[in-house]
Amino acid sequence: MKKFTKKIIVSAVSALLLTSGAAVAETEINIAGWGAKSGPLRSFGINSEAVMSAAVARVNEMGGVKLADGSMAKLTYNYSDSACNAEQAIAVARKEAAEGKSLIGIGPTCSGAAAAMFGVFQKQVDDTGDTGLQYPILTDTAVRNGLAKISQWTFRNTPNEPEMYDRLWAWIAENNPDLKTIYGGTETDQGHSNGTYSKVIVQAATRHGFTWATGDIEGLTGDIASGYKEVLNSSSNWLQADASFSVQARAFRRSNADVLIISSHPFTTCGMLKELSRQKVKPKMIVGLTSSSSAEVMKGCAAEAEGMIIPTSFAPITEAAAEVAALATANGGDADLHSAAVWENVMIIKQVIENVGITGDPDMIEQERRMIRDGLAALTETDGLLGKITRVQDEGEALKPYVFVQAQSGSWNVIHDPR
Amino acid sequence: MTYLLGILQTIGVHTLLGLSAYLLLLTGQLSLAQVGFFAIGAYVSGILTVIFSWNIFAALALGSLMAGFFAFLVGFPALRVKGLMLVVATISFSEIVRLFFFNLSWRVNVNGVEVGPDSTQGFREIRYFAANGWEQIHIVGLIWFVVMVVMLALWWLDQVRAGAVLRAVGTDELAAQSSGINLTMVKVAAMTGGGVIAGIGGGLFAHSTTYVDHHTFVILLATFAVSYPIIGGLRSVIGTLLAVIFIQGFIIEGLRFMGDYRNLIFGLLIILVMNMRPQGLLDGHLVADIRKLLSKLTKGGKADA
Repeated sequence: MKKFTKKIIVSAVSALLLTSGAAVAETEINIAGWGAKSGPLRSFGINSEAVMSAAVARVNEMGGVKLADGSMAKLTYNYSDSACNAEQAIAVARKEAAEGKSLIGIGPTCSGAAAAMFGVFQKQVDDTGDTGLQYPILTDTAVRNGLAKISQWTFRNTPNEPEMYDRLWAWIAENNPDLKTIYGGTETDQGHSNGTYSKVIVQAATRHGFTWATGDIEGLTGDIASGYKEVLNSSSNWLQADASFSVQARAFRRSNADVLIISSHPFTTCGMLKELSRQKVKPKMIVGLTSSSSAEVMKGCAAEAEGMIIPTSFAPITEAAAEVAALATANGGDADLHSAAVWENVMIIKQVIENVGITGDPDMIEQERRMIRDGLAALTETDGLLGKITRVQDEGEALKPYVFVQAQSGSWNVIHDPR
Repeated sequence: MTYLLGILQTIGVHTLLGLSAYLLLLTGQLSLAQVGFFAIGAYVSGILTVIFSWNIFAALALGSLMAGFFAFLVGFPALRVKGLMLVVATISFSEIVRLFFFNLSWRVNVNGVEVGPDSTQGFREIRYFAANGWEQIHIVGLIWFVVMVVMLALWWLDQVRAGAVLRAVGTDELAAQSSGINLTMVKVAAMTGGGVIAGIGGGLFAHSTTYVDHHTFVILLATFAVSYPIIGGLRSVIGTLLAVIFIQGFIIEGLRFMGDYRNLIFGLLIILVMNMRPQGLLDGHLVADIRKLLSKLTKGGKADA
């Protein structure tokens, strides 16, 4: 009988220890993600969530994140749909900040939604007169120039387009001395496409000796944003919702330019490429917007895109990048320059959590969010899928390694690796 | 709490947008110009607080008056047509406004920072509330104060002769005209009033979201504006509020996990309401029943006392 009682006591104590052990192992650190999972840009959110799920699973496979006391916590995530809508992005940000569950947010998808959302955050930390949200954000997708500096709580891990296009045109000029003239157009109602085209791409080409095919553009010197209004006036442009590109394609053909620039997102890029193909326009080279170096173009118009060159911060050229691409596909999405950044973001967050020493105590969430923000602000370099990423901390931005890819037989292949 | 207050902000602003359409719908006019007036209010008040550092109340007032002024101007030519042609004319107006702001670049250096509308890059950092120490509860308080004032004004309007005139025009224009009612004056007045309400809603919207661009004021928002009073019903201003709560609070926020299906449900809801409750959720019968019930309760209460 004594033996039996002993057994029961031992079992009970073991069970108690196991339970408490399990409780320790189940300490969770939550990351909130949000982006467009509905509307025309829903593929962006689906891709980001697919990569986020894979990244969080990988962190947990490695044992989770190390807390301040040395114990390991499980990383969890939740992903919300904020469409491509400012009010919805703000609503999700407020919800995440208020609920006190998530330590940091990743999102949103669209630059317009990000511009609005970042605006409701406290502009400068410790400004007691500013009642904006105090919750750290590390954005993956919204690329429009200069967004992160809206608030000191917002950071981005998005490509640096001025640098990428400068190097691209330098490389084109060096390797294709026969190419002299350029012509192009953009979707003018899309801030990112329009801004990058009229302030960055054309100026970079000018800096490297290319001339506008239909005559000089007033004010265009090669400096960023020089003569940008005239650049737009001299181009043949379209709108994001356009479905007919015959007039623009005709203007492209008549320009007789050596290099054509199509600065738009995948949906109108494909429309324009198809119309160029229909009108039998065969330029010596086509340069695209970085956001179009995605699976959408390959799915929508691979044949017409053949030969198009785009600088991008993601291509499955390293072992890690290839693995992320495979995991994204396995999770029902695609890894591209936008969604692959989520993987890097999750790994950056893990690194910062471990650097600053988070307890995971829900009662300390506000202090720990601040610690994460400060940790992000202190980073000078992080590991990326293509190599080291340098942080430009006074603006909350990143300088990411990049490659030049070309559409070849239905896939994006790296044709130059300047890393 | 921050989240719930945020939802209240959204509901309040959309209620103003819906009420602006409600006023015009009372006269039987379906206008998609409300989003244009909303945009005018948003940009004007935003420019006043960001570039000229105006006080929010003055900025909202001028933004609202400016929207009302444009509504007055648009009212004359637009209301010469009716039905589908009016819808087309008002869509055109909203598109003109949207494209004007799409092309508007007015960048000014304020305290070393370049601010103001930047064409397709949008109008960022309309941060009057946060920058001036307004807590969210204060913002919600302001928005709902405005909503209450507008709702009370519209309710009062319905109790006096002017409201009867509006409804008479909405019910039968010919009969109303035969009774000596000046149709143009009534419709233009309703359009102007709707413009003022939409303008103040737009101003509050811009300062709540801190950012506006041409994508904000698309035809979808105009559709929402007219959907609120149509779904809610025109018998009472409360109908519009209920519809906004249902659409913004339940369909958009509550069903966020359903993604694209939210849009499907929204469309389905309009079809259902049009078929099953053509006078809206809060139609005349329901309003009468509620009044009877309230009256009984009041009498019962008095008897008990």
